[in-house]
Amino acid sequence: MTKLDSSIKDVVLAKSIDKNVMPLGQKLAIGSLLLVTLVALLAPLLSPSNPLLPVDQPFVSPFSGAHFLGTDSVGRDELSRVLYGIRASWFSALAVIAFGVIVGGIVGLVSGVMGGVVDTLLMRITDGFLAFPGPVLAIAVVASLGASLVHTLIAVAIVWWPFYARIVRGEARAIMSRPHIEAARSFGVGRFRLALRHVSPGVMPAVVVTASLDIGNLVITLAGLSFLGLGQPAPAPELGAMAARNLQYLLQEWWVSVMPAVAIAILAMVGNFTGDALRDYFEAKI
Amino acid sequence: MYLLKFIAKRIVASVGIILGLTAVLFFLAAISHNDPVHAMLGAGATPSAIAAERHKLGLDNPAIVQYFDYLKNLLHGNLGMSYRTRRPVASDIATYLPATLELAGFALVIAVVLGLILGLASGGSYRGSGVLRSFLITGASIPQFLLAIGGLLFLYGKLNLLPATGRIGISNAPTGPTGFYTIDGILNGDFGVTLDAFKYLLMPAISISLGPAVSIGRVLRGSLISTLGSDYIKTARSKGIGGFRILVRHALRNSLGPALSMTGLQAGLMFSGVVVIEDIFAWPGIGYYTAQSIPSGDFPAIAGVTLVLGVGYVIINSLVDLAQLLADPRLRRLEMSTSGVSPKRSYGKTDLNGSSQTVVQLEP
Repeated sequence: MTKLDSSIKDVVLAKSIDKNVMPLGQKLAIGSLLLVTLVALLAPLLSPSNPLLPVDQPFVSPFSGAHFLGTDSVGRDELSRVLYGIRASWFSALAVIAFGVIVGGIVGLVSGVMGGVVDTLLMRITDGFLAFPGPVLAIAVVASLGASLVHTLIAVAIVWWPFYARIVRGEARAIMSRPHIEAARSFGVGRFRLALRHVSPGVMPAVVVTASLDIGNLVITLAGLSFLGLGQPAPAPELGAMAARNLQYLLQEWWVSVMPAVAIAILAMVGNFTGDALRDYFEAKI
Repeated sequence: MYLLKFIAKRIVASVGIILGLTAVLFFLAAISHNDPVHAMLGAGATPSAIAAERHKLGLDNPAIVQYFDYLKNLLHGNLGMSYRTRRPVASDIATYLPATLELAGFALVIAVVLGLILGLASGGSYRGSGVLRSFLITGASIPQFLLAIGGLLFLYGKLNLLPATGRIGISNAPTGPTGFYTIDGILNGDFGVTLDAFKYLLMPAISISLGPAVSIGRVLRGSLISTLGSDYIKTARSKGIGGFRILVRHALRNSLGPALSMTGLQAGLMFSGVVVIEDIFAWPGIGYYTAQSIPSGDFPAIAGVTLVLGVGYVIINSLVDLAQLLADPRLRRLEMSTSGVSPKRSYGKTDLNGSSQTVVQLEP
């Protein structure tokens, strides 16, 4: 009996949830995303001091008055450096995603709407890109172009867009077989307008969910490359590089390495939880 | 018959991909900001010496000739000279490869076992599975180097349980026949070596494997949940079979396909994690070799490693496709009925709900 009761309760509960009202967990997740973006935007205002200049003794312990996250090996304020690092990591990840969504979106949309030879050709190219181990190839690209943040972003963007092309193409193919497309076609809507006005809105949910889930992946991938010295040169506050360069002090002055690494984990977590929440949100709407 | 055809097709496709990779690497070498002649001769070389060296290296030939020279060298196992070590890249890689294979293989075993456990534990719907789901999301967010740093701080720094850097603490450890210390120790009857090597392996291997384990677990969770909703499971339930037995005996086998795909993908991606982790633990593998080559701009070394890892990646993914075909009769039927269309894998990334990104794509 109790089992039946609880299942009835489930049905009642499910009905009582308005589809347009977001549960608290999802609101929190999306709020955290906005908060991190705000922190990244306002990093210059939030940081207590210049991230590139020494302001105190080296290796001041964290959580001790003047410097919340302590100071590093030359006495720079760790909190300021981490904040600037968050700014670089966050916007780098968003930039690569934007590139992926635009390029992959166009390729996928063209492929899905045109079908036939164009579809086969574009997807073969996409699969060719996907057949390479992306991060390793990115290392080779940066090693060839020379280490800098822009080159790293180019390298990662090159190996990243095919995922979006695949996803958008899959969604577009599915949408193309729906009745509203047939209706639009029978009215003589051209392919360009069809793709833009009738197919692309339906592709959006999948793209938004993938993109938000991707933030975490990208933050970690970019941090890994930066860790290996493929980002900006030495004094620049980059989270991966900060963790790597201070490893030699790990056993005595642990915070100099650990704080940037924890910041990366937090950024990735915010991205992942938001992606999960958005997925639940769109699934509930459908 | 269809199997031979499938294998033949995969070999042709793999060769194409590897050729593509060589073309990309050749192009990257050509546009590289590091001129090989300057790197070899140093800054003070005279123009005539530079010209002579260019001629010797064949750099004054047209690009297409140079590319075919490059391919010919590759077929002879010649990956060029490292600027940094001044030795052939191929012999450098041969020296460092066993250490990496041992580490990656060990990490893969941990990842698969842990992934199975995580997937099964979070796949059921009982109190606490939601907590596990959050744990999976959190686990997917932790960069490998944070794990490695944390491990170093506590297991080495605080507790002094495990060694920090290197591969083995015994100076005259037996070398050969496999080059894997753990296995060589057993083969030579010296279990002290195996145990010591195991201690050195543990921390780097766990750091590498947690991310892939979470990815495998999430994919398995997603496919388990969709399998558990199918009719034959309901039949099994109505017959009164217990939840755990249904999960392991009835649902698991039909849910393994996507998890297998993900394992193949992760095995390939693991190589990139290996670079960072080997660098932290000074593990003498090709990842460490790469990390050392980056600051000195040693492009031939990096290109050589990329090529070796790329070939490994392509082979692993082909084997996974084959394994899936053998494991799943439904795919086999599809392969036979639609001759010319191979079951294509959509190489999805870490799918956080573990649902549908890395599934076998049946549609051509």
